[in-house]
Amino acid sequence: MTETDHSAADDRVLVRAAQQGDMTAFEELIARHRDKIYARAYSMMRNEEEAIDLSQEAWVKGWQRLAQFHGESGFGTWMTRIVINLCLDQLRKHKRQRTESIEEMSEESGGVERQMPVVTVNPTAGLERGELRQRIDRALGQLSYEHRTALVLHEFEELEYKQIAKVMGCSIGTVMSRLFYARRKMAALLADLKNEDGK
Amino acid sequence: MMEYNDQLKLQAYLDGELPEGEAARWAERLARDQEAAALLTELRQTRECLGGFEEGVKLPETREFYWSKIQREIERLETPRPAATATLTVWARLRRLLVPAAGLAVVAVAALVAAYRSGPTMVATETAVADSGAMIYHDYAAGATFVWLSYPADDDVADIDEEATLD
Repeated sequence: MTETDHSAADDRVLVRAAQQGDMTAFEELIARHRDKIYARAYSMMRNEEEAIDLSQEAWVKGWQRLAQFHGESGFGTWMTRIVINLCLDQLRKHKRQRTESIEEMSEESGGVERQMPVVTVNPTAGLERGELRQRIDRALGQLSYEHRTALVLHEFEELEYKQIAKVMGCSIGTVMSRLFYARRKMAALLADLKNEDGK
Repeated sequence: MMEYNDQLKLQAYLDGELPEGEAARWAERLARDQEAAALLTELRQTRECLGGFEEGVKLPETREFYWSKIQREIERLETPRPAATATLTVWARLRRLLVPAAGLAVVAVAALVAAYRSGPTMVATETAVADSGAMIYHDYAAGATFVWLSYPADDDVADIDEEATLD
């Protein structure tokens, strides 16, 4: 099969070919899903270099585990689960290497978000797509990894509470608290960024 | 101020995680509870503004460069470590057997020729005690001694062994 043929082939056909050892078919799968896999790694890690490395590691693992893929979900979804797990492992390593701040401990106890005033006006209204993305990017970067991960898994990966709890190794109640804090904090940060920018 | 537990339930309502009956009760409450309605609006706005964020994130590397790194790593992991015995060619294996056999044959022929010319007491062959790979031939009449080593430098084998220890 030539590369031109691959570009027209369905994901399932490419996966079958890759499972037979066809690396050009796998390369085509990477070309199709690489942005999504990288974006997920970047959302979680907030670091371009680490996101590239982890996304590549995910592809290598994907190749090694291709025999375990039976098509229950889409290939892209299957790959995002691999990269999410790699990112979580990496974030846990980071976490072990630093001391928790007082703020993070109070976030975990679920108290801070109750004090936040409700943001009544949509802080992102009227923004260009690129500008909105930049603000979200900055705000996401100010969340702790637990809150950001809960948000990413819920909003981007569209997982249910119980699935997030399983992935993150915590209770559903903790997921709800983390998600609630993350959303409230994001709203406050986006409003602050809007004020800083004078818009 | 709303109870924290209620705030979390309101969020669950937004996310469609409440049982049907409870969701209906929240819908009724939201019609008359402004604080709850305001919080729901904020949570919904945050959710909406995040939608599509990842679609704008693009990998900052070319297809070829990105793939080349993955391909190298896959190939590195899949290349079996060279095992000396497994990678020897048939010829190399045969040569290992033939070299000492040929050596023995040469020594035997030389001994026979010398014995025929000079008598049985004038020549002797022996295997070196310290090295079973060395065959020694003495021709006392001619005052000559030949030592046959059955292990000339076998480059192929030496190289393979060396590679195997590099990883």
